[in-house]
Amino acid sequence: MVTIDDKKLIADEKVNNPSFAKTIWREIKHDKMALISLVLLLALLITAYSSPLFIDQEQLQRVNFLETWEAPSSEHLLGTDDGGRDVFGQLLIGTRNSFTIGLSVTLIAGLFGLTVGLISGFFGGWVDNVIMRIIDFLMVLPNLMFIIVFVVIVPNYSIFSFVLIMSAFAWFGKARLIRSKGLAERELDYINASKTLGTPNWKIMFFEMFPNLSSLVIVNMTLSLAGNIGLETGLTFLGFGLPASTPSLGTLIAFATNPDIVQNKSWVWLPAALLILVMMLCINYIGQAVKRASDARQRLA
Amino acid sequence: MSLLNVKDLKVHFPIRGGFFRSVVDQVRAVDGVSFELEPGETYGLVGESGCGKTTTGRAIIGLNKVTGGEVLFNGENLATMNAHERKKHMRDIQMIFQDPYSSLNGRKNVLNIIAEPLRNFERLSPKEELSRVQNMIERVGLNPESIYKYPHQFSGGQRQRIGIARALMLNPKLIIADEPVSALDVSVQAQVLNFMQEIQKDFGLTYLFISHDLGVIKHICDRIGIMYKGRFVEEGTAEDVYMDPQHLYTKRLISAIPEMDPAKKFEKMEMRKEINAAYRTEYDSYFDKDGRMFDLKPISPTHSVAIQQGGM
Ligand SMILES: Nc1ncnc2c1ncn2[C@@H]1O[C@H](COP(=O)(O)OP(=O)(O)O)[C@@H](O)[C@H]1O
Ligand SMILES: [Mg+2]
Repeated sequence: MVTIDDKKLIADEKVNNPSFAKTIWREIKHDKMALISLVLLLALLITAYSSPLFIDQEQLQRVNFLETWEAPSSEHLLGTDDGGRDVFGQLLIGTRNSFTIGLSVTLIAGLFGLTVGLISGFFGGWVDNVIMRIIDFLMVLPNLMFIIVFVVIVPNYSIFSFVLIMSAFAWFGKARLIRSKGLAERELDYINASKTLGTPNWKIMFFEMFPNLSSLVIVNMTLSLAGNIGLETGLTFLGFGLPASTPSLGTLIAFATNPDIVQNKSWVWLPAALLILVMMLCINYIGQAVKRASDARQRLA
Repeated sequence: MSLLNVKDLKVHFPIRGGFFRSVVDQVRAVDGVSFELEPGETYGLVGESGCGKTTTGRAIIGLNKVTGGEVLFNGENLATMNAHERKKHMRDIQMIFQDPYSSLNGRKNVLNIIAEPLRNFERLSPKEELSRVQNMIERVGLNPESIYKYPHQFSGGQRQRIGIARALMLNPKLIIADEPVSALDVSVQAQVLNFMQEIQKDFGLTYLFISHDLGVIKHICDRIGIMYKGRFVEEGTAEDVYMDPQHLYTKRLISAIPEMDPAKKFEKMEMRKEINAAYRTEYDSYFDKDGRMFDLKPISPTHSVAIQQGGM
């Protein structure tokens, strides 16, 4: 019986009940910093992700000893590195790799933490107790050391295995956050109602409880995205991230370990350092706007 | 045979404490409660806040674990069933919750809220589902055009009607109504109560009606059980309880019903004083030395009171 009339009703209610995405958009529009950040970040990402169209990656990775350490010129916009490779090209590909890694880690860790947190919060009792004791244990482990050890012992790791290893240590906090909200949520009668209406537990968790926690999850993921990009860069800088053959912002910044390069060949590492700073700031400003959108009391719009 | 027969129901909550979170004590929220519901009747469960009414209702429907006793529904003991066996009886017992705000998921529209039970138990095409929901929403007195609205767009009374519609969707036999009107404005309370009586006839429902207010359920209950600290102190027909209260606690509850008639106001005040005096002097004949109620003892075929064996 979905008549024209029904469609109109649905449309009417859509206007009265803006989705979270709409609220976020409204909030960003009202916050100049967030809006500028969003535009800047999108421009950066679009350029970075479309770069394979105009950059030949194989050519980029080819070592050319005749052109090492060249200063910026019209041929090499940002000069070349120790292997005579174009820094500008590496910057674009690197941004793409770094962002992909940061985003994947955030999504995988978010999904895993969400599932564990939902289970723990929904069931409570001994299930919660066991899961929380395990997470307590995992949290006291020195994460960074474990990641470094894994990176060292896993032979020829790729972006994929690097993402998995980082994700494995990034979900604890999220699980805890979701769990504590879930514990409060499970006491509410709409959850009890669903139980008495015969809805299976997994459906209650994901289709009743989760939508009420989703804004929290989105806020948390946005804010941790910046951190995860930073973590990748940091690890690569220390030499435990991606190999030099896979350019990332970290591999470029890693050149700054040599005092000579820091002082005299700043074109190699400075653009990457600035870029990551700008990216993290942008994500953070957007994240703040998303956070305000999730809480009616803080909204500017 | 009675529809629901609760025998010596006990629900205890462990209090955990100490380093190993071991059980240090029990909250005896419900401590030996027995009553029967005949098909089609309305049974009132009354008592002050915190006496275990909600816990009793939740134990019957399976939201709380039963510590002891039996919950016989059509002769089958729900208390010992596992989740799978229970599912068969889920359609027959439904609950209306006290808080019309938290009992509806704010993220779902009315259509999705009311269709939830249908989706769990029946395979319907979206068209059939929509028409069933629209019929029901009309039946509970809401505009059928409002099915795409969200709970926050309704008033408390309307929300409670949505909750009732959801509970009715599976054609249940027994409805546990946990203070369904206590969160509503007084002006709306009567409306919802009348409406509940109406649908009781139409759908052939049996109500377990929980309330902390004897005044509210005076007109709708056939029989009433008075609960105090997890036990029954008195049980009888509505007439037995209102006209001939035996237990001191019941008398107190009745004297606490606000009197609208100014002529009787003074009389009521006197009565309240008397009962308070009696509470101090006669306490021992109603409660044993641990302050616990005695077991119910019949004083007429329909009326039982928790007084000491051997009379007062
Ligand atoms: N999940 C629980 N854990 C521990 N104690 C509880 C729990 N639920 C209820 N209680 C206790 O049981 C008693 C009865 O509660 P309840 O049934 O909600 O009372 P009523 O509905 O009559 O106001 C209260 O003292 C309450 O604190
Ligand atoms: Mg209650």
